[in-house]
Amino acid sequence: MDKSADEDFITDLPQSIIEIILTKLPIRDAVRTSILSSKWRYKWATLTQLVFDDNCVSPFNDRIAAENKLVKFITRFLFLHEGPIHKFTLSTYYLQSSPDIDQWLLFLSRKGIKELVLEVGEDEWFRAPSCLFACLKLTSLELLRCELDPPPEFGGFSCLKYLNLQQVLVAPEVIENLISGCPLLESLTLSYFDSLALTVRAPNLKYLKLEGEFKDICLEYTPLLVVISVAMYMTDEKTEHFEQSSGCNFDKFLGGVPCLERLTGQIYFTKYMSIGYELGKVPLTYDHLKLIQLYQVSFEDMKEILVVLRLILSSPNLQELHISSSSNAITAFEASDLNFWETDCPTGCTLKRLKTVKISDLSGVPHEMEFLKFLLKNSPALEVMSILPGIYVSCGKLNVVIELLRFRRASPKAEIIFIQDQI
Amino acid sequence: MAIVRPEMKSYIWLQTTDGSIQEVEEEVAMFCPMICREVLQTGMGSSKNYAIKLPQRVNPAVLGLILDYCRFHQLPGHSNKELKTYDEKFIRLDTKNLCELTSAADSLQLRPLVDLTSRALARIIEGKTPEEIRETFHLPDDLTEEEKLEPLRNMTDDPRIRLLNRLYARKRKELKEREKVKNVEVAEEHMDKRSVDDLLSFINGGDGDSKCVRSAKNKKKNRRRKDQPRNSASNNDNENREKETESLNSAHYNGAVEDVSSSNRALMLQDSSSATLLSNLDFDDADIDDGLDPALKEEIDREVEDFARRLNSVWPERMQEIYALGQERRLLQIHGNSSVARYTGKRNGSSMNVAHLFYRKLILIVFL
Repeated sequence: MDKSADEDFITDLPQSIIEIILTKLPIRDAVRTSILSSKWRYKWATLTQLVFDDNCVSPFNDRIAAENKLVKFITRFLFLHEGPIHKFTLSTYYLQSSPDIDQWLLFLSRKGIKELVLEVGEDEWFRAPSCLFACLKLTSLELLRCELDPPPEFGGFSCLKYLNLQQVLVAPEVIENLISGCPLLESLTLSYFDSLALTVRAPNLKYLKLEGEFKDICLEYTPLLVVISVAMYMTDEKTEHFEQSSGCNFDKFLGGVPCLERLTGQIYFTKYMSIGYELGKVPLTYDHLKLIQLYQVSFEDMKEILVVLRLILSSPNLQELHISSSSNAITAFEASDLNFWETDCPTGCTLKRLKTVKISDLSGVPHEMEFLKFLLKNSPALEVMSILPGIYVSCGKLNVVIELLRFRRASPKAEIIFIQDQI
Repeated sequence: MAIVRPEMKSYIWLQTTDGSIQEVEEEVAMFCPMICREVLQTGMGSSKNYAIKLPQRVNPAVLGLILDYCRFHQLPGHSNKELKTYDEKFIRLDTKNLCELTSAADSLQLRPLVDLTSRALARIIEGKTPEEIRETFHLPDDLTEEEKLEPLRNMTDDPRIRLLNRLYARKRKELKEREKVKNVEVAEEHMDKRSVDDLLSFINGGDGDSKCVRSAKNKKKNRRRKDQPRNSASNNDNENREKETESLNSAHYNGAVEDVSSSNRALMLQDSSSATLLSNLDFDDADIDDGLDPALKEEIDREVEDFARRLNSVWPERMQEIYALGQERRLLQIHGNSSVARYTGKRNGSSMNVAHLFYRKLILIVFL
């Protein structure tokens, strides 16, 4: 092939396409294009989406050297950069909290930063400088392992739509003010917080994910909330504390979310929700709730069962239900209140749209079986019920199956699939 | 090319830049936002005479590819896996076709296809050495050796650079000995006038006056030290924005750090605070430049390198003087009234310095 006759086709592509291509490269390779030819020298310098991570430097055994290299790389890059920066991601293990990060944030705040992800090393948590709160064009903020202490005059990020804070040290009122100060907030994720008592007022919030030890969560004003995912950790002291807490947690949490479509609760979620249950008011109907996932439900606690039932029965359009049980047949004591299912259980309720039920970690305790019986009796549209027995259940499996066989099924199409452990 | 189906289907007529017209099934063509908009807004495309004129970057061959893509993707009922498999096969093209396809897809505003082809091109570029990339895309290797060795590239940890910088440093020292007075072509149009001013005002801030004073004082002291810092200066890139960083970087990577000024620079590098960095820079650059402002020096660097590419030609001495004068004038504008007196006083000296520097650099580049 005659080289002189071949043309260079890539250099003359529009800058917007070149930027798309360079954005899909790791940033180190993108910068390397600067020596390809004279036209390529500064094509990289106007990138608006920057992703820095530990791959920007060759692997080092010495962490300090790696840290220095990374700092130099990022500093020089930013210094040579031209134009606005819309997205900046820094995700590093080498780099600990350092004054360089403050300077980069100051630089970014002047460049109209819109999406910021900051995750630095584990030893020393990074303390967010005040210039972070001057990035008023932020639409997405994700922080890991840092300390937030906004200045008193900080009013919130008026454009922020997505907020994700993980392992962030911050005063509770600061979080609440932050949430209230971001009127456009649509997605909120708070992970690994300790003893947080939170009241959420967010008129546009659609997606909420909480994980950690929460003392109290009150969704005071979240009318548009669509997806909720909660993993509630609790220590035993907390549960006692909860017994004395006022108000019905169920109402406080799910009392104001009429648009809810998906609910996922893990670990101690149902326990948390069960506290104050008897004080509950007339339940809200969740017309749009289609998927409920509740993990580690204790079928030995009557209150938790009541919570589950209330949820299911308040959702006329429920289509899919996943429940995992935390009961253990070996240690389960004699089940009380089995009459509940005969006498107090609401009758005449049908789950008209329920199609799929997945039960996992089933151990065969009486309440679990009664619950399954209840479901089968009241789901005329049921198509699949899959059951995964718990790993400790070895000899009880046959009994479970025998019981299941007896249960009356409202749905002629229902298939009960009993999943054998794959050993 | 036009597939005429017997069923009642509506077609859209498209015309490429070479004049050829084809008709395409409506749902396929409407998958492209640009065509969709044309049809809806202007009503074109309904017949052969009113064919939609496609943008220039869409030639018939690549149009065929795009229409195949649209035809597959607009059909509902393909699983994600099927789509992925199709896409993977679709982009198995040579780089020339990939580039044309990207360009055409962009002009038709078909964003998913642009993303797909861009990703393919990125995968081709990723992990390759510059030589390999140039080979693949037939890029001209038209950067000078100096430009390639810039600290800009140092960001990618190439260990060769340190060595080469040392060699260059030594070579320059040798060349210094062989200087002759020759006239140099000068007046290259400045590319980044504004950025010079910006940078200057940024560096100088309020320091314009003190800097001039310092320049005058340290002029003699720095004659001795000119080599080292000038070597580092020679390594500098033309672009204004990088000046400070790069002069620092070069000094850092230069093996021989003999002088105070160089060690000052090295010290500055440890300092992470950019404010301190820049104030040190003011101070040091004043030391080196024969009384010339760093921005001026950078401009000179740039011009020299541009010239070097075009090779030697002999210009009258007057051109050089005119240029030097032009430099002074610009400096005057920047620094304001207070500095005028000092600069006008030094005019002649500076112009000689300009010439000197200029032509030193020229020689270096020519001989290297």
